[in-house]
Amino acid sequence: MNSIRGRVSPSILIALLASNFLLASCASTPPCSGSTSKNLETAIDDVKHTLTSGCEAHFDRYYDELLRVAEGDPKPENKRIFSDFLMWSSDEGLLSQRQAKDYYNRYFNVKFMSMAGDYNNCSHTCPRRDRVMIDMERELSDKERGLLRVSLDNEGYYRADELYQEIELVLEATCTACAAGN
Amino acid sequence: MNVITGHDRARTAQSVPLNRAIDKARRIIIGFLVLAALAFVGRASANTTAPTIRLFPTTVIDDLRQTSSVAKEMETGLQEVIGRLDQQQQLYAESKCEGAENDPGCQRLSRQLGATYLEMLGIMEQRLPDMEHTVNNTRLSLEKRLRSELGNKMTPWTLQETLLGGNPQQTASVAGPSMRGKSGMRLSERFRQYYQLVASSSSQSDQSLAVLASDIYLDMDETSTLIARTREEIARATLIEQLNQSFGTITPEMMEVVDGVKSILFGDDASNVQVAGPPPGSIEQAYRSPLEN
Repeated sequence: MNSIRGRVSPSILIALLASNFLLASCASTPPCSGSTSKNLETAIDDVKHTLTSGCEAHFDRYYDELLRVAEGDPKPENKRIFSDFLMWSSDEGLLSQRQAKDYYNRYFNVKFMSMAGDYNNCSHTCPRRDRVMIDMERELSDKERGLLRVSLDNEGYYRADELYQEIELVLEATCTACAAGN
Repeated sequence: MNVITGHDRARTAQSVPLNRAIDKARRIIIGFLVLAALAFVGRASANTTAPTIRLFPTTVIDDLRQTSSVAKEMETGLQEVIGRLDQQQQLYAESKCEGAENDPGCQRLSRQLGATYLEMLGIMEQRLPDMEHTVNNTRLSLEKRLRSELGNKMTPWTLQETLLGGNPQQTASVAGPSMRGKSGMRLSERFRQYYQLVASSSSQSDQSLAVLASDIYLDMDETSTLIARTREEIARATLIEQLNQSFGTITPEMMEVVDGVKSILFGDDASNVQVAGPPPGSIEQAYRSPLEN
């Protein structure tokens, strides 16, 4: 060992370290910065490019940024633009079909994804009614963003708000009735 | 007879535990609110058609109708007594009896007033057990239906779809009832809206019926408890008034109760609460994504 160390000069060592550093930086992920455009279509193109360049782990952040861009230019067509983007994401394998649906419906559909489940209400919803209502309240806030502030769909948002109140009332009555039957 | 002053009136009022009296009066009034409200339910139920989800079968409608009929009987019985109380109260005031309780004429008037008041409490006491029974029947029928139709037969998703109806993009004003349970609105006003809702729509949809059934059920649940409490309070109020009869005085509690009952039976402008509708939305039909559920 000592004989080898003695034969390698310091300048060669520095050169080897520098080349290692350069190789390592080439292999690392790109900066994954989002789009700076204020135009939704352009921003989506930028995001698509970034997503296919190894930044798919940042999907949530990009989606949020795109919503923010869309809020700056709200219009009914934004729904279609987001739908197309999510379908593209699904086709590219960045999201599963189910994830794509969740992303879309949470923001742009009247129905609540938090109110899903395959079992009956007495056994499934009632034991966790408080949790469901908290989740729905959060989702309603996302719908306000997607339906009202991004797509200008006032009618859709007010229907979602009304549905939230109806569910709250109906669940209170139904769960009281379920509890009385136990 | 002496002329009563504001100071005298305040002193008279202080001699009675006013807070307790108001509380008691409030409870009795709530009992009456129930009756007024139920009068509308029966009429509403007569117009319902058989829903796809069976929330209002014949048994429930019969229970509602019977409750309405019992409530109406009580209202009719009370109307005459309250009219008499009104006249006696007016006579008492015009005779400047307040502050002149020792005057023999005033004592006679006061006893007559107290007797009519006891009569009113007697009618309530006589009718409330029937009310309690029919309200409980309705509550139990609805409870069974809600548990079966919405609790056991539906998932959260199907419940949501039922509430939305066939068209999720339907306008909010058409989609369902504009009132909610526990809204702080007077019961009678809420039930009047139920009535209008059912009566104005020839084909009630499931989503409206689910909300309607839930609202009525929660009200009935609360009502049941309130009737039981009211009955207890009537027994106590009767005892106190029987004691008061010995002294020939009119208590502020009596006045509170009578005023409360009058406002319910003959109208109360202050509680004519309007339900705010949602702001007008865009009528434009929105884009429907293939991703939409």
